[in-house]
Amino acid sequence: MSGLVKGSGRSAPTGADVHRARRRRRLGVLRPAYWAPLVVMVVVLLLLWTWGAHALPYLLPPLSEIGEVLADDPAYFLRNAGVTLGEAVVGLLIGFVAAFVLAVLVSELPVARRAIMPVAVVLNVTPLVAVAPALVVAFGFGPGPKLVVTALICFFPILINTAAGLRSVPAEVLQVFRTVDASRLEVLRHVRVPTALPYVFAALKIVFPLSVVGAVVAEMSASGSDDGLGTVIQVASSMNRLPVIWAAIAVLALMGSLLLLLVTVVERRVLHWHASTHKENR
Amino acid sequence: MAEAAIAVRGARRAYDSGELAEVVALDGVDLEVEAGTFVSVIGPSGCGKSTLLRLMAGLEQPDAGTIEICGSTPRAAASQKRLGFVPQRPALLPWLSVAKNVALPGRLNPAATRRRRGERSGAEGPDVHELLRKAGLGDAMDKLPAQLSGGMQQRAAIVRAFALHPDVLLMDEPFSALDEFTREALQEQLLDLWGELGATVVFVTHSISEAVRLSDRVVVMAPRPGRVVDVVDVDLPRPRSQELLRSQEFHDLELTVRDLLRDAFATGGAR
Repeated sequence: MSGLVKGSGRSAPTGADVHRARRRRRLGVLRPAYWAPLVVMVVVLLLLWTWGAHALPYLLPPLSEIGEVLADDPAYFLRNAGVTLGEAVVGLLIGFVAAFVLAVLVSELPVARRAIMPVAVVLNVTPLVAVAPALVVAFGFGPGPKLVVTALICFFPILINTAAGLRSVPAEVLQVFRTVDASRLEVLRHVRVPTALPYVFAALKIVFPLSVVGAVVAEMSASGSDDGLGTVIQVASSMNRLPVIWAAIAVLALMGSLLLLLVTVVERRVLHWHASTHKENR
Repeated sequence: MAEAAIAVRGARRAYDSGELAEVVALDGVDLEVEAGTFVSVIGPSGCGKSTLLRLMAGLEQPDAGTIEICGSTPRAAASQKRLGFVPQRPALLPWLSVAKNVALPGRLNPAATRRRRGERSGAEGPDVHELLRKAGLGDAMDKLPAQLSGGMQQRAAIVRAFALHPDVLLMDEPFSALDEFTREALQEQLLDLWGELGATVVFVTHSISEAVRLSDRVVVMAPRPGRVVDVVDVDLPRPRSQELLRSQEFHDLELTVRDLLRDAFATGGAR
């Protein structure tokens, strides 16, 4: 029921209206138009896989076998997934802190920009898959090289995006804060860093899945090291155990998706004020 | 004559454009603004009115000449929190509520803010929330800027500039992006706030009626090079009622300014 507000020519929503609108939004997920396209897509992919496994038995294992492997020893996959996840997240954290600090330096000091950016660019174009074995030689088979590779792979997108974000403050805003004598540190804290947040989250969405890539690449270069899904794949492939390889891949895909979901949820909370999180832009 | 709050002497500012050429945005500008008066600066685009304002705000340095705000340099005035600046667009921080946006300048550089409060002790003005209510933003205090109309955002930007109780308020075409009705409402509110809090206001505009309506004096500028051609005194009583705005006196003043601007444009174009 809507009450007409006198004189405003507009009907004001009552409590019941708000309640109903909220429920409609929540139930939207349950409508076939929402979930049917995805379900159809997944069914098609599963059918294609089954057909492929039938036609090329030495290349693709049947889905049932992958399921069996996972169901047989879920603890094995869980433990190795935990190792890879730990390397990915800690490496990402190291890369993030380093990149963020350097981004602040680069955006505040032209001298730092001229010194740091060329090195960062060269680092970025160097294939990390090639660097990983060298790092294993240098740091051994422990977690060291895995963290370094993961941190390196996450470093560049965060550096570039954060530096761009820190310098994207509108001129008028800077003028207002300069005329009230805000220090550089205050402008950084109250204006530049919040302005950069949408850029930082854009980078995080790229970098969270990348961190898993970094961890797996490092694990595979250090075969013989004991844990992690990359090692599982390496060992299984040397023994030609296809279902195990694909089970590990499935776990990795799930892990990456969950990480991405986590970033997106946090982003919506933190950036509720930003246009990118508004309905019209989704 | 009362003490000059702003004194500009022989100010010159030129920008490089290309290899050897330079654009003289301002040349030989002398201007004194008495404390507590409302002065508009008007002129065709390219006459350097915004440049003059940025010099007063200490955002740019003159190539020659001096600028004094309350007896010190603009940068010193800024560090004493004597300045308020309202740009063309509201320039609010989109992640802060209106109330927090308005309060933020007071929280920056707390030592200077405290010194400033000490100076004004006794004459403690209204606080942020009171100011917002006075400006008709009482219901909008906890909203984000994006949830407000353009007019309300600009109103919040003006309240933010007044919240530090500045001696000098510099406004760069603050109403130029607003529709006619909103603009008139904001003009009135600006005059109310100014009447209550008192400040020396320099108001850059390209609207003749806005300049005459708001000001004690209208500074007319001309381009190429940017310079002051004349200063028109607006001796109309305040508050200025609707009848006064329709009076012959008001129209005569508008005509005077318009003629000066036409001459300024002609001489500027001829050079």
